[in-house]
Amino acid sequence: MLTYIFKRLLLSVPLIFGVLTLTFFIIRLAPGDPAAFFIQPGISPNVAEQIRAQYGLNDPLPVQYVKWLGNVLHGDFGRSFSRAQQPVFEVIAEALPVTMTIAGLTLIANFTFGIIIGIVSAVRQNSFLDRFLTVTALFFYSMPEFWFALMMIIVFALKLQIFPASGLNEIGAESFGPIGFFLDRIWHLVLPVTVLSINGAAGIARYVRGSMLEVIRQDYIRTARAKGLPENVVIFRHALRNALLPVITLMGSSLPFIFSGALFIEVIFAFPGMGRVTVEAIFARDYPLIIANTFISGTLIVLGNLLADVFYAVADPRIRL
Amino acid sequence: MKRADIPQAKRRTGIAFFLALGATILLGACAGGAGKSSSGGAKDSTLVIAMLGDADYLNPVIGSSVTSGNISGLIYPGLLQSEFDTTTGLLNFMALEKKLRPSSGGRKPDGALARTWIMSPDQRSITYILRSDVFWDDGKPVVSGDFKFTYRLYGNPVIASPRQQYLAELAGAERGAVDFDRAIETPDDTTLIFRFFKPVPEHLALFHTSLTPLPAHIWKEVRPEDFRSSPLNQKPVGAGPYRLQTWAKQQELVLASNRKSNLPKPGNIPLVNWRIVPDYTVRLAQLQTNAVDIVENIKPEDFGSLVKANPAVEIKSVGLRVYDYVGWSNIDQELYHKTGRIAPHQLFGSPVVRRALTMAIDREAIIDGYLKEYGTVCNTDISPSLKWAYNSSVVAHPFDPVRASKLLRQQGWLPGPDGILQKNGRKFSFVLYTNAGNARRNYASVIIQQNLKAIGIDCRLDVQESNVFFENLQNRKLDAWMAGWSIGLEIDPLDVWGSDLKKSTFNFVGYRNPRIDELCELAKQKLVQTEARPYWLEYQGIIHQDQPVTFLYWIRETQGFNKRIQGEQLNISGTFYNIDDWTLSPSANLAP
Repeated sequence: MLTYIFKRLLLSVPLIFGVLTLTFFIIRLAPGDPAAFFIQPGISPNVAEQIRAQYGLNDPLPVQYVKWLGNVLHGDFGRSFSRAQQPVFEVIAEALPVTMTIAGLTLIANFTFGIIIGIVSAVRQNSFLDRFLTVTALFFYSMPEFWFALMMIIVFALKLQIFPASGLNEIGAESFGPIGFFLDRIWHLVLPVTVLSINGAAGIARYVRGSMLEVIRQDYIRTARAKGLPENVVIFRHALRNALLPVITLMGSSLPFIFSGALFIEVIFAFPGMGRVTVEAIFARDYPLIIANTFISGTLIVLGNLLADVFYAVADPRIRL
Repeated sequence: MKRADIPQAKRRTGIAFFLALGATILLGACAGGAGKSSSGGAKDSTLVIAMLGDADYLNPVIGSSVTSGNISGLIYPGLLQSEFDTTTGLLNFMALEKKLRPSSGGRKPDGALARTWIMSPDQRSITYILRSDVFWDDGKPVVSGDFKFTYRLYGNPVIASPRQQYLAELAGAERGAVDFDRAIETPDDTTLIFRFFKPVPEHLALFHTSLTPLPAHIWKEVRPEDFRSSPLNQKPVGAGPYRLQTWAKQQELVLASNRKSNLPKPGNIPLVNWRIVPDYTVRLAQLQTNAVDIVENIKPEDFGSLVKANPAVEIKSVGLRVYDYVGWSNIDQELYHKTGRIAPHQLFGSPVVRRALTMAIDREAIIDGYLKEYGTVCNTDISPSLKWAYNSSVVAHPFDPVRASKLLRQQGWLPGPDGILQKNGRKFSFVLYTNAGNARRNYASVIIQQNLKAIGIDCRLDVQESNVFFENLQNRKLDAWMAGWSIGLEIDPLDVWGSDLKKSTFNFVGYRNPRIDELCELAKQKLVQTEARPYWLEYQGIIHQDQPVTFLYWIRETQGFNKRIQGEQLNISGTFYNIDDWTLSPSANLAP
């Protein structure tokens, strides 16, 4: 297995590198100019030119690429154009923990709720509870997340005023003490994590239900029941383990979805995370930051997929890596 | 572990999870309560302003966003205090003991670092006498050398300051590079002399020599190429009424009243918190729940529900500085790009056609439907707020589709078989572009489309991403578009209408009228600003007649304020114009 992991990691290097190269050219070929902000009446026309020279954008594209390549191979992804020349990894180091927190909590909530709802629906197939859960899950699944987020804000922040509408902490939260600060943070995370996980959980529930139903009809389940095992043991020990196999792959592949979901959740809830950094970098044509973001999210996706494959092998001894 | 234990263990984890979730929500609710009551305490001393985006640099030399400007203005010392005179529309400059004009606002010029100034009789130099009792946060005095040092930075091409054109009149600038040793002289710590290569009107000299200084003793070791990335940008040392307390990038920026400041005094409100909330709906929700005190640029359609839901909120408006227009390419852009030759545009080349288009558009309907009392029909790009130069005898082209049709007929545009106007086989059909995400322009563009359709013009609408849209404008790739300008308080329209299309980079329509060039030059040469009035009156008459674009409406910018803020004087020069004088009244928070 270790050889397999090593091979996969080795393969991912040219893959990520290819993605970065593609991104490098695509963003430079796309219309828009990082110095566009400085082209306005009242600002000397020289400024945009001076800024472009500073950013090295006046060189021909191949020269820019070679220079960039040299820097990246030295581990230098450059400084952000739009964020006061901060080194891009500093920008990301500030933003990544925020997104990781949201993504981590969402992942946990997604799978916990998804699996529970899926099992209940499968075990009580065609009951009122199953239908109710199915309809509810489909309802949330088909709801656009940004709209749902705004609705949650209107209901819980505006009308009921239970949860805050935005930000990571209350004003003056530093004075609450460490526990107070932590609770305040959790209180700010409830709405965004709920929005992100409801949608995902609904999808996972459908998967779990489907695969559970398939497994329950297998011969060995009948055998297990026939030898007099309690229903709980049959469901959790024999059926669930097998039914969860496809769900494990979902875990790896849902990572990018949660990241992309975090994109507008962060804009709406004013979280300074990766999603917002990416969106703003794209609008500002902040090339170094866009590339660094692609690098980080690309790496996470590749690792997520690898992790899913490894989990798969761990969970199912029939699979040999 | 025995087999039968597993499901129970699972069930227990499930139950534990639900319990944990319940607890979290409960805690959330409690924390919510706790948060609110305790934040009430913290908020009595904190003004909270919701902003769309973060400041870029808290450094006056390179800061370029409006937010940066607002915040830097509170942190750094100012040589002069400026004031917009609402009765005349003129910008007034004040030192401690001298004023350019009598002050109308009654604001004391205590915030000025200059005691007085002397303009030389030939108007080629200006000498400032500075106060000697002003100190940077680190205790060092603010001296004339700080200005000389900072002006070198403003003029350094490696630093690329967006304010480098302020140095355009300094000695040496006529030959391409300011000669700082000659242009700025500092005989002693409180005397500062600027020298120009030509006579400069006093108001312009004051405007251009009052750029904000940096503390030279702190910045002198920083190399120009490291200037933008210097860590000093994160910890500004100033002398103004506020100092930076904390700055969590993309989250919040907190200013604390600067107890040591005598420019003019420590800010009244102890803490000012600028929170970054990118989403408009959320900013609105926060204003409604008193989580923030100020939200800028509230859309007119939200006024009613906002004020009804929270009576503690009021809408304040300032203006008129911003207008929207429909740009009609005056020249054949394609031919110009290919050959450099200038020929009238096939559709919009004639001023008569452009006037007809303006008459066909119901500007009042757009104002009534969207801006309401916060909009006024716009005739030219000189704002009615600049009363000293505004030509009130220019009468708006009325909404008159019949007249518009007649004018178009005179120009040879006749209805074709499909009802669309035609001339020499060319249909009057075009695409009107605008930038994405502007509700006001979306609203207006639909009305414009209907209005034009009514007189037989086929106008299709297209929305482009802002960056792409502005790039297309700059490259003069669009035939018709809708955009807006925010005007400066000094009138200088040559950038936008100058006939030299290479120099006038913002003349997107390619408008050319030599008399306009002449008038702008004549006005600039007047050493007393108000004497340029006749030129500006004539200018407006010509622009109104030529309609290089269809001017739509002036917009009053609308800001939502919590009523607990007192003493605010909003002004065309900015929402936060006298923020150091504001106070918070906690009792106003208890309003039902």
